[in-house]
Amino acid sequence: MKRLRRLLHTPEAIAGALILALLIAMALAAPLLFPGDPQAIAGPALLPPFRDWSLPLGTDRLGRDVLAELVHGARTSLAVGLAAAAAALLIGAVVGTLAGFAGGLIDEVLMRMTDAFQTVPSFLLALAFVSIVGPSLGVVVAAIAISAWTGPARVARAEVLSIRERDYVAGARVIGMHPLGIAFREVLPNALPPVLALSSVIVAAAILTEAALSFLGLGDPNRVTWGSMIAEGRTVLRTAPFLSIVPGVALVLTVLGVYLAGEGVVESTAVRRSLS
Amino acid sequence: MSVLAVSNLTKRYHRGGKPFAAVDDVSFEIGPAETLALAGPSGSGKSTIARLVLRLIEPDAGRIDFEDADFLTMSGAALRARRARLQMVFQDPLAAFNPRATVARVLNDPLRVHGIAPRADRPRRIAALLERVGLDAGLAQRAIHEISGGQRQRVAIARAIATRPSLIVLDEAVSALDVSVRGQILELLLDLQRQERIAYLFISHDLGVIRAVAHRIFILDAGRIAESGDARAVIAYPQSSVGKALVAAMPKLVRDRP
Repeated sequence: MKRLRRLLHTPEAIAGALILALLIAMALAAPLLFPGDPQAIAGPALLPPFRDWSLPLGTDRLGRDVLAELVHGARTSLAVGLAAAAAALLIGAVVGTLAGFAGGLIDEVLMRMTDAFQTVPSFLLALAFVSIVGPSLGVVVAAIAISAWTGPARVARAEVLSIRERDYVAGARVIGMHPLGIAFREVLPNALPPVLALSSVIVAAAILTEAALSFLGLGDPNRVTWGSMIAEGRTVLRTAPFLSIVPGVALVLTVLGVYLAGEGVVESTAVRRSLS
Repeated sequence: MSVLAVSNLTKRYHRGGKPFAAVDDVSFEIGPAETLALAGPSGSGKSTIARLVLRLIEPDAGRIDFEDADFLTMSGAALRARRARLQMVFQDPLAAFNPRATVARVLNDPLRVHGIAPRADRPRRIAALLERVGLDAGLAQRAIHEISGGQRQRVAIARAIATRPSLIVLDEAVSALDVSVRGQILELLLDLQRQERIAYLFISHDLGVIRAVAHRIFILDAGRIAESGDARAVIAYPQSSVGKALVAAMPKLVRDRP
């Protein structure tokens, strides 16, 4: 409770948390609010918003309910964003810890691999990966994760380099602990805070990357996503701009909410760190 | 028979491109249940010797025999297993522990790593260790940062004796403690030495403390041994210039005490 209050000490953090809470509630309640297939035809085609209150945001080119698609799309966006960020942070933390703790040749090899991944533009990497393996939710998550783990890896390595010189690491060696045990039980948990501080940026970037992939038709074809909704609306942009604007605004609000809430978390932990 | 025999130990570092010897051709032996003090001004190589003896860093030359086995050629699992017999207590008891750990976890680690007690038996072992160093067994569930400096150093000693070592390296182990706590910790160390026959390599710049606990003393200067002998005799009549300077730095009241 105290932690939550500290988290919500700025108006930005409150706004971010509210947006996120609303989105998560929307994503979780999607099957209850709009049972059945969101891609089923629900009414006349290209119905503008706010005309028919049973279809408040109107319908698209094929007569599908835009609000139903939007709410179901939130599920995909959040699921992909969170899963990809979690995977990226996990890979990054493990690679960074091994490189920083082992040093020498292992460090060289792992960090040159990180360089290689970092020099390829991350979106092109994700694009290439999905076009080779084929679009599905798991592949999209993997594609985003392999283009996003390098940042966490560098931060984790830098933190581990300073932690490994501390007395308690020497103490763990004196006790006779296995080097891998020291790296993952003693060092990694203490190197995590600055790595986790990256998570809001990575979640936001992952959501945008997923939308971009869907926009290009490389998302999971069996799911509604905001990116594919924008792509659908593009063909009728002049006559029915709301079809692109509605999911676009949802995307902007989501990324904004993730950023603001993430900043709030970082700031509240920074206060705690400077106090201790 | 010695617990630890160090011969011709040398460790060089590079400072401004020039090699300089932090530890230069140092030899000494420690017998069972003996306390050998290493004294010297800062930068004289005391802590480097401690870290060399523990294989936290590797020497450039020399030989270390621990319990009559060549310690420097050991590696991997054999080295980790042998570490049970050679423990250390650090100067800063807060830095010596994982900041997220509880007392129970700190004491559980050596028992787990060396398979000393089955998992179900460990809480009882941990309580016994805490009581052995004069702490309440109820302290086990507290976080390391919640207990006092003196309590922390007792926990550090409990961790060191958990694996029944024959030698403990004490690197300025009482320097960060205030005077009343320091006396209690020194009493505890002397008591443990009598009961468990543990040898100490006692590193300190404080000759008053050394005179209270050490049998023999080696005074270091720029990585070399300047003089050595019976601790009380050397402190009473230092021969080397470094020894004289260290004795002169002692408070007069302490120096004149018999």
